[in-house]
Amino acid sequence: MSFHLLFLISIVAGFVGAMSGMGGGIILIPALTFFGMDIKHAIAVSIVSVIATSSGSASAYVRDRITNLKVGMFLEMFTILGALAGAAITLISGRKFLFILFGIVLLSSWITLFRQRHESWRQAVHQDSFSHWLELEGKYYDQSVGKIIEYRGSRAYLGGPLMLSAGLVAGLLGIGAGALKVLIHDLVMGLPPKVSTTTSNLIIGVTALAGTSVYLAAGMIDPGLAAPIILGVVLGATLGTRLLVRLTNQMVRRFFLLVLLILGIEMILRGIWGT
Amino acid sequence: MDHRVKKDKKVEHFDMEIMIGYILLVGVLISAALLTIGLIWHWARWGNLRFEHSIVGMNFFEFILSTLRQVSSHATRPRFILNMGIGILMLTPFVRVLASVFYFALKERNWKYTLFTGFVFCVLTYSLFLR
Repeated sequence: MSFHLLFLISIVAGFVGAMSGMGGGIILIPALTFFGMDIKHAIAVSIVSVIATSSGSASAYVRDRITNLKVGMFLEMFTILGALAGAAITLISGRKFLFILFGIVLLSSWITLFRQRHESWRQAVHQDSFSHWLELEGKYYDQSVGKIIEYRGSRAYLGGPLMLSAGLVAGLLGIGAGALKVLIHDLVMGLPPKVSTTTSNLIIGVTALAGTSVYLAAGMIDPGLAAPIILGVVLGATLGTRLLVRLTNQMVRRFFLLVLLILGIEMILRGIWGT
Repeated sequence: MDHRVKKDKKVEHFDMEIMIGYILLVGVLISAALLTIGLIWHWARWGNLRFEHSIVGMNFFEFILSTLRQVSSHATRPRFILNMGIGILMLTPFVRVLASVFYFALKERNWKYTLFTGFVFCVLTYSLFLR
């Protein structure tokens, strides 16, 4: 695969990844395998680039004070364990399985998000005592509506263990699994969409590092190949991040939905028919 | 008492958001700069951008050590720069977690989150020693 192509794919992947909070991998892996890269190598190189996308955009979100650091740091404990297990499973599993799983993960996020597409975020009425003990409340300034939004994260007892599976998927498929994390933040923990996207970004970096170390140890990361991908993804993500802060919640979501649908169907078909 | 007020004001300026934000930013920038330099250097020397070299299964610290050992050899310099770029990228979230442990322990004195981030740090350290 030519340098220019790798670089271009990575810019697009980084852009879309940052816009949606998914991380670049979810676009990168289908694209890389489409152009002939082995899926396991695509997964390994993708997860390294996910560290870069996540850290790059998280740095901006954190300084904008949209990210909830405590929610992130609590949930990280679960995602890194999942990621280590996931990466180890990928090393021993078949390629067909990885394609189909990739498609299923994409589509299942799509279905769940599609069902509540028209609902805007509502404040959780009741915060359980465990979430209160974890100090998961917060507030941020929303640029698009021009006011401070306060929220209380809840049901951390459920969100934590569920994050184990988000981490597992991240490690398995070399993606940030931002879609799943955002889903858990939105639906289970009742965080506003922007907080859930940006907080998932923060968690993704650490989760991807756990996965990367497994792939590095397996000798599957090629710095010569990873370099243009990382650079492209960072460039794309920088552009995407600039846009997210300005867009409304609905626009982010709608864009997110379209991308997920197309990629999900594509990956499943390739898993079934072979590549 | 006076002294305390002053100290609190300083905390306003340097908080966790700023610290984490800049650790991530600086890590990614250094890494991206090294990767760019490595690629350009390689291109200038060989006139192409194709270089694929796999690392035969080693853990992160062995990877860094073997990279540092390449410094003496001129032929592998662009590769050395690239490897450092990857290494620094991997260290970025790791350092972020370590800094959070210290921040929660020393500045906020929040034992809950010191414990949580400490746990994350231990698991990551373990994973970097995997092979």
